[in-house]
Amino acid sequence: MIKAIIIDDERLARNELKKLLMEFPEIEVVAEAANAGEGIEKIENINPDLVFLDIQMPGKTGFDMLSELDRTPNVIFTTAYDEYALKAFEVNALDYLLKPVEPKRLADAIQKLHLQEDREQGPINPVNVNRSVLSENDQVFVKDGERCWFVRLADIRLFESVGNYAKVYFGPNKPLILKSLNALEERLDEKTFFRANRKHIVNLRLIDKIEPYFNGGLLLELKGGEKIEVSRRQTVKFKEMMSL
Amino acid sequence: MVKKISYYWLCQFVGWSAFILAYIFFYLTLRTSEVEDFYKVLFLEAAIGFLVTHLMRYFILRYKYVEKPVNEQVFYILSISIVFAMIYASAATMAEHYLEFGRERDLSLFNKIMRASMGSFTFILIWNLIYFAYHYIVRTRQAQFDKIRLEALVKELELKTIKSHINPHFIFNALNSIRALIDENPNRARTAITELSNILRSSMQSDKLETVPFERELSIVKDYLALEYIRFEERLRIEYEIDEDTLDQPVPPMMLQTLVENAIKHGIGKQVRGGVVKVISGFRDDYHELIVLNSGTLNGINRDGFGLFSTRNRLQLLFGEKAKFEIRQVESGLVEARISIPVELKKGVYDQSHYY
Repeated sequence: MIKAIIIDDERLARNELKKLLMEFPEIEVVAEAANAGEGIEKIENINPDLVFLDIQMPGKTGFDMLSELDRTPNVIFTTAYDEYALKAFEVNALDYLLKPVEPKRLADAIQKLHLQEDREQGPINPVNVNRSVLSENDQVFVKDGERCWFVRLADIRLFESVGNYAKVYFGPNKPLILKSLNALEERLDEKTFFRANRKHIVNLRLIDKIEPYFNGGLLLELKGGEKIEVSRRQTVKFKEMMSL
Repeated sequence: MVKKISYYWLCQFVGWSAFILAYIFFYLTLRTSEVEDFYKVLFLEAAIGFLVTHLMRYFILRYKYVEKPVNEQVFYILSISIVFAMIYASAATMAEHYLEFGRERDLSLFNKIMRASMGSFTFILIWNLIYFAYHYIVRTRQAQFDKIRLEALVKELELKTIKSHINPHFIFNALNSIRALIDENPNRARTAITELSNILRSSMQSDKLETVPFERELSIVKDYLALEYIRFEERLRIEYEIDEDTLDQPVPPMMLQTLVENAIKHGIGKQVRGGVVKVISGFRDDYHELIVLNSGTLNGINRDGFGLFSTRNRLQLLFGEKAKFEIRQVESGLVEARISIPVELKKGVYDQSHYY
């Protein structure tokens, strides 16, 4: 069973989608929200597997809402016609449905979800015992100007502190997100993500080389070529973890 | 303007200098005998000619002769030339008489003036022909320029018609609501389809018409808001305040509709709790005023957008410089868009002559 939430500011649009989803018994619509604020609340409480999300909503857009979430569920965007959103979908290869939704397109989108589920062998979002810690398989939504991504934490090499923001390194991209490094550290799994120094959190699985450095510290070279110094205090901890 | 004034002065100086030089040239090459006070008389006549033609220009500008129809202009050119040739001749002859220049023959003053008038008529006429011809060319060029500008704007509007008049986002949202209504409220769904058809039809016809009676535009706006009400439900409050006498007034098609659409898109659509859209039509002073009030905040970013620019431009091309369009924050949380159309001018893109 896939738990789904519909977020759209129009009651009729939500009803119409619910009606269409009746054709898919594996999907259960467990909640609805009429704006981004309600949406965040319901996602955090219910922890759905799937969200149908309208882009243009009063207050905050669907994109803005997603960037505020620590962990994003699978998202299928819905929009009537919005040039800006359409461009974002195409540029970023996001899954979207155009309203009025064509049943065939909806079936395709749901099919894609099942394929993804099979590939990951298991439920889409494995129910974590401790949901306050983000696992490697969790994804976050990152938006940087016009570009946006759903990024699996496993693909992130490095978080770098830049004032109140954090720069997120994955693939060739390094967009900024509005989160402090300390807040991130609390939520990240410490088995994977390691606070190397005041300014950096590195993904231990994406380290390429480890070299000794001044003052008994270490220099880590990541898969993307970034060189990060491990402070002396953290070096002790790092060595302990790696010796396990 | 500065450039035109300087052209005038330049022509005056060059013209009268040429006059002086030509006389001196002919005097030196062709004279048969020495003329008494020749140089004094020549410079005096040139100076008086300069002053008289300048006075003449003042009259031409004062009574706007250059703006009259071309066939009337012929008559004015001739009459003005005759009158000013006589003024010029009188002034020159009397001045020479009192300064006692070149007393050659003992003719009566009247006789002298009449003879001088004949000669100066040619100069004055040439002066006028040049002056009127120049203005004729400038005005024709301006008219052509305006026409090209208008055509370009019409083209641009035609291209953007569907995008700027009926937002596709609105069409698809409306269709989506209607689909949901088919089960929930079939009667409302049927009316909604009629409303949507009306809007689509008039948006397709709108680029063919310059103006439509306000009544027609209002019915489109009502259909439009009724459809938006289906989407927004209790989040949208709609109010009308329509002076019945304004229903016959000509308005540009789809203009009020665009304002209402923006009121929804930038106003109501952005408020979680929604708000009010109020449409007002009435007369104030000599204007037909169309006002759209909506809950919301003007963010300033879209102030110079294509929509506002083209609205203003279209109004001024249709109704002249007096037509106005403004958008402003009237109080916190309330935005007002106001179109003012001068009432006495009913129509006519090319009927702008009164404004020159």
